[in-house]
Amino acid sequence: MAAMAVALRGLGGRFRWRTQAVAGGVRGAARGAAGQRDYDLLVVGGGSGGLACAKEAAQLGRKVAVVDYVEPSPQGTRWGLGGTCVNVGCIPKKLMHQAALLGGLIQDAPNYGWEVAQPVPHDWRKMAEAVQNHVKSLNWGHRVQLQDRKVKYFNIKASFVDEHTVCGVAKGGKEILLSADHIIIATGGRPRYPTHIEGALEYGITSDDIFWLKESPGKTLVVGASYVALECAGFLTGIGLDTTIMMRSIPLRGFDQQMSSMVIEHMASHGTRFLRGCAPSRVRRLPDGQLQVTWEDSTTGKEDTGTFDTVLWAIGRVPDTRSLNLEKAGVDTSPDTQKILVDSREATSVPHIYAIGDVVEGRPELTPIAIMAGRLLVQRLFGGSSDLMDYDNVPTTVFTPLEYGCVGLSEEEAVARHGQEHVEVYHAHYKPLEFTVAGRDASQCYVKMVCLREPPQLVLGLHFLGPNAGEVTQGFALGIKCGASYAQVMRTVGIHPTCSEEVVKLRISKRSGLDPTVTGCCG
Amino acid sequence: MYVPPRGSDDRRALDRQGGLGCASLRSHCREMAQRLLLRRFLASVISRKPSQGQWPPLTSRALQTPQCSPGGLTVTPNPARTIYTTRISLTTFNIQDGPDFQDRVVNSETPVVVDFHAQWCGPCKILGPRLEKMVAKQHGKVVMAKVDIDDHTDLAIEYEVSAVPTVLAMKNGDVVDKFVGIKDEDQLEAFLKKLIG
Repeated sequence: MAAMAVALRGLGGRFRWRTQAVAGGVRGAARGAAGQRDYDLLVVGGGSGGLACAKEAAQLGRKVAVVDYVEPSPQGTRWGLGGTCVNVGCIPKKLMHQAALLGGLIQDAPNYGWEVAQPVPHDWRKMAEAVQNHVKSLNWGHRVQLQDRKVKYFNIKASFVDEHTVCGVAKGGKEILLSADHIIIATGGRPRYPTHIEGALEYGITSDDIFWLKESPGKTLVVGASYVALECAGFLTGIGLDTTIMMRSIPLRGFDQQMSSMVIEHMASHGTRFLRGCAPSRVRRLPDGQLQVTWEDSTTGKEDTGTFDTVLWAIGRVPDTRSLNLEKAGVDTSPDTQKILVDSREATSVPHIYAIGDVVEGRPELTPIAIMAGRLLVQRLFGGSSDLMDYDNVPTTVFTPLEYGCVGLSEEEAVARHGQEHVEVYHAHYKPLEFTVAGRDASQCYVKMVCLREPPQLVLGLHFLGPNAGEVTQGFALGIKCGASYAQVMRTVGIHPTCSEEVVKLRISKRSGLDPTVTGCCG
Repeated sequence: MYVPPRGSDDRRALDRQGGLGCASLRSHCREMAQRLLLRRFLASVISRKPSQGQWPPLTSRALQTPQCSPGGLTVTPNPARTIYTTRISLTTFNIQDGPDFQDRVVNSETPVVVDFHAQWCGPCKILGPRLEKMVAKQHGKVVMAKVDIDDHTDLAIEYEVSAVPTVLAMKNGDVVDKFVGIKDEDQLEAFLKKLIG
């Protein structure tokens, strides 16, 4: 089919020749007759990274387009503009985590004089609707922002035709070709399904689905040991559901393992069941609609079964690269992970094609990283900057029932890098004031700071387990970024009474062998 | 669970009544009388330009299968049609698509208030019924079009809607007034009176 060149008056009165595909045909040169491409920048993926890039470039006066498309999950869940974080990640997760925390506070309340009848029931539908409504308002907000900044938006599933062109099919079947001088790929990832397990795909759900369920998931089996698994199991337990976590080996791989085991200990002593050293082999549906899961227990070598209303797979995420036709553009991916390979400038194997966010190999999968990397990239492309993204000392928090915030190196990493003799770890078990009157168990409330032993004792990493860990850790991340030393920490006055002050009050080292339990408060 | 305002969903209104259609003779007579009233009323209210054959005239569509229901006359969706009947009440209707908006709002000879709303918007659920009520009180001098911004994003973007609820006052195809957020009945009355002129 011949492609038709159509003259269009672009922004500011410039004429742009655009090749238009007719039905069934995706042919035609990337450049139109006048030799100009449609856009300065095309962003593939409208998530945290993609939207940040697009808006930044538009602000610098560039002609930008964003393409975003959500392939429905195997269970049929779909969502709007904004990516994983907004729709099936950070935002709904934190809101449901908050719902669970409130349950705990309601239980504490009578101790503080509130005459609250216990137990207080929880209505999943009400919570889900409120969370879903908020997410939808964010979808709209993003749409409006793109419009305000004159970023062109296409809700199409794009794939590469050549290194400067993508094509996609819009609603109504019309094929759209988009070409750009620069392309940024920010398609993110999706949860992995254990397709080798019989019944996994048909009967299980993932984090793509849990936040959009209209009805309560009921008795749930969460399979996995990632932060997704722990956070989901955490809030499900907190709202009163019978929840079990099944993990093959260690929790929170890649995180400090001492902290990770304490996170699990807390969950176990607060109602979450654990099946450790177990791996599922089969899921089938029973006549009454419940799911029967069969697994192998590696400690006993025996098979066991259990019945659940819901099975949630949280065994990792895979990059969204398969349907992009990256070979047509010449973009290289990792043979192991299929993630896109980039250098320190976020450039792929093709000079004018870049990639940011979860789709990239070797980077932490975090929204703020995608956003910052995206903005810095755009500033380098169009703003004359040469600042590279710094991937060191990135703070993060796991929003389990007892939250775990960390920045910098884990103790294991510090020891591996510098050697045991050159590392000093200061630590403390503390009790949040709010736990006292409420009679809450503070056994896992713990903080440790990993430092170099040589004066002034540079802080290599900070690990905080306790309430509001995210709020606590954020400020200290700045300190570490500025190269704070333990000497400076010691001279920082604490804010009292808080949990945060325990960080600046750290005095007991692991090496000393002394009891790290904070006794009393004021002194 | 979210319960839509009375009259805004024909089927639910009928379910509350206990089923389709009225059984007794008395209600049949009432039905006949109401049908005549509806025809007369609609003829006076809906003075639209002919729509180039794209949409059948509203009057015949509205009289397909009239039913009794609380909160005034409503019309059941006719399953034989592919187009879902949109009338919420005598003076309020849901917009189906761009051409529908063009037809019933832009080309309307009667001034129209357009209520851009969203399912996820709390204040919209308060403003919507309130505005409907005040519009109904104007005896057909103004009608109200409701646009769900998630269903009709392009339309909402075209009319530069950012926050919801956004209400536009339209006369002869032009936006002559606008407000964002909740207003009380007096404020709405003033807004409508100004539009009617």
